[in-house]
Amino acid sequence: MDILVSVADLKVSNQTEHVLVTHALGSCIGVAIYDPQARVGGLLHFMLPDSSLDPGRALENPCMFADTGIPRLFRECYNLGAKKYRLQVKVAGGSQVLGGQEHFQIGRRNYAAMRKIFLKNNVLIDNEDVGGCKARTLFLELASGRTWVKTTSQEIIQL
Amino acid sequence: MSLIPQILRSLKNLPPFPMVAQRALLLVNKAEVSIQELVDVVKFDPAITANILRIANSAYFGLRREIHSLNQALLLLGTQELLKIIIASGATRLFGNAAPGYFAEQQGLWRHSVSCALMADLLARELTLAEGNLCFTAGILHDIGKVVLSLFVDQKFAQIMEVVEVQGEPFHKAEKIVLGVDHAEIGGEMARIWDFPDRLRQVIKHHHLNHPESLGDEMVLLIYLADLLVLMFGQNLGREGLAYAAYPEVLNRFNLKERDLEKFLLHFGSLWDDAQVFFGLLGNDHGLQCAHRG
Ligand SMILES: [Fe+2]
Ligand SMILES: [Fe+2]
Repeated sequence: MDILVSVADLKVSNQTEHVLVTHALGSCIGVAIYDPQARVGGLLHFMLPDSSLDPGRALENPCMFADTGIPRLFRECYNLGAKKYRLQVKVAGGSQVLGGQEHFQIGRRNYAAMRKIFLKNNVLIDNEDVGGCKARTLFLELASGRTWVKTTSQEIIQL
Repeated sequence: MSLIPQILRSLKNLPPFPMVAQRALLLVNKAEVSIQELVDVVKFDPAITANILRIANSAYFGLRREIHSLNQALLLLGTQELLKIIIASGATRLFGNAAPGYFAEQQGLWRHSVSCALMADLLARELTLAEGNLCFTAGILHDIGKVVLSLFVDQKFAQIMEVVEVQGEPFHKAEKIVLGVDHAEIGGEMARIWDFPDRLRQVIKHHHLNHPESLGDEMVLLIYLADLLVLMFGQNLGREGLAYAAYPEVLNRFNLKERDLEKFLLHFGSLWDDAQVFFGLLGNDHGLQCAHRG
């Protein structure tokens, strides 16, 4: 059963029949984490790099921003029994429009903000499909931990 | 081997522009509109009053009182808001068919067009544009050329995508290279056939900023920016993804920084759930029920 993760949203699960899915990432980033032993996984779809843009909004919905959404994703998976050292981390999204080298860089800034948070917390990314101008839908299958991306041109990429 | 003759021939079979939207268009930006004028517009389509009431009562407008009549809606929302609903509702007819050249989903083009209209509306308010009232409509109709060009793009999709990937061209330029014409030009042609107001036709024709003079036209720039922000936001993305050219001139013109763009996206993200009621307009024609009062 597909469990939909909307924009600025996260879902966690330990039900093996669940597939977490988030549709059509543009400059947003999808973060999928999975503990193969506990069979616990979570998927976050965050929109913007930094909650200092609007702290009030971040309180209402932490999933809007990388710096408030990512810690929450990990915490909710720990609550279901996941252990940090076992977590597999896969990310997708962060696209850019063409020629936006100096402007329109929200995709890249989202990615940079996420890397900074991972670095500070000693989290390694196992695999990623980021950047470029593709639109991606990200899937995480709870039974297996299999994570994959489908682009709008129907290409499938295993992560 | 140009497809232009074939494409132009398909314009001959263009359906008429929906009467209700046509009449409503003439009232946009008019200083005073009477309730009788509005009644005269909506009487051409009995479904429209129901749509108006549903949207007016949705969480998107967040009114405290339940609205039961056109008259009440006019009082509480104001003429220009009401006209936006009427135009969106009237235009759905044009979006009934899938546009497989551009979108994998049946309602992809409609959803993209509504998203762009809502974003344009938001930007027009933030940037206090003189022609602000027309921006929502321009957003709904900016990609109307895709309705006609879709089948041709679908036929040549691999070739067009190759130009995007190998030469790094934005998708609309690749359309022009492969087909000899792009959806903005075709849209401009449709606007001429349908006798749209000049300003609207110009925005449709130039929304990809493929004409140097368009860089000086604020409404064109605003629709361009709305389109681009909607792609960045994601969700109803087309097969071309974000293969869209970035023009930093737009930021200078409106005196915007990257952080302003982030704020627009944040704002848009906050109204996203409530705005779903607009997407539902298309489903109505096929008898789908939408939730009343979000
Ligand atoms: Fe376009
Ligand atoms: Fe568009």
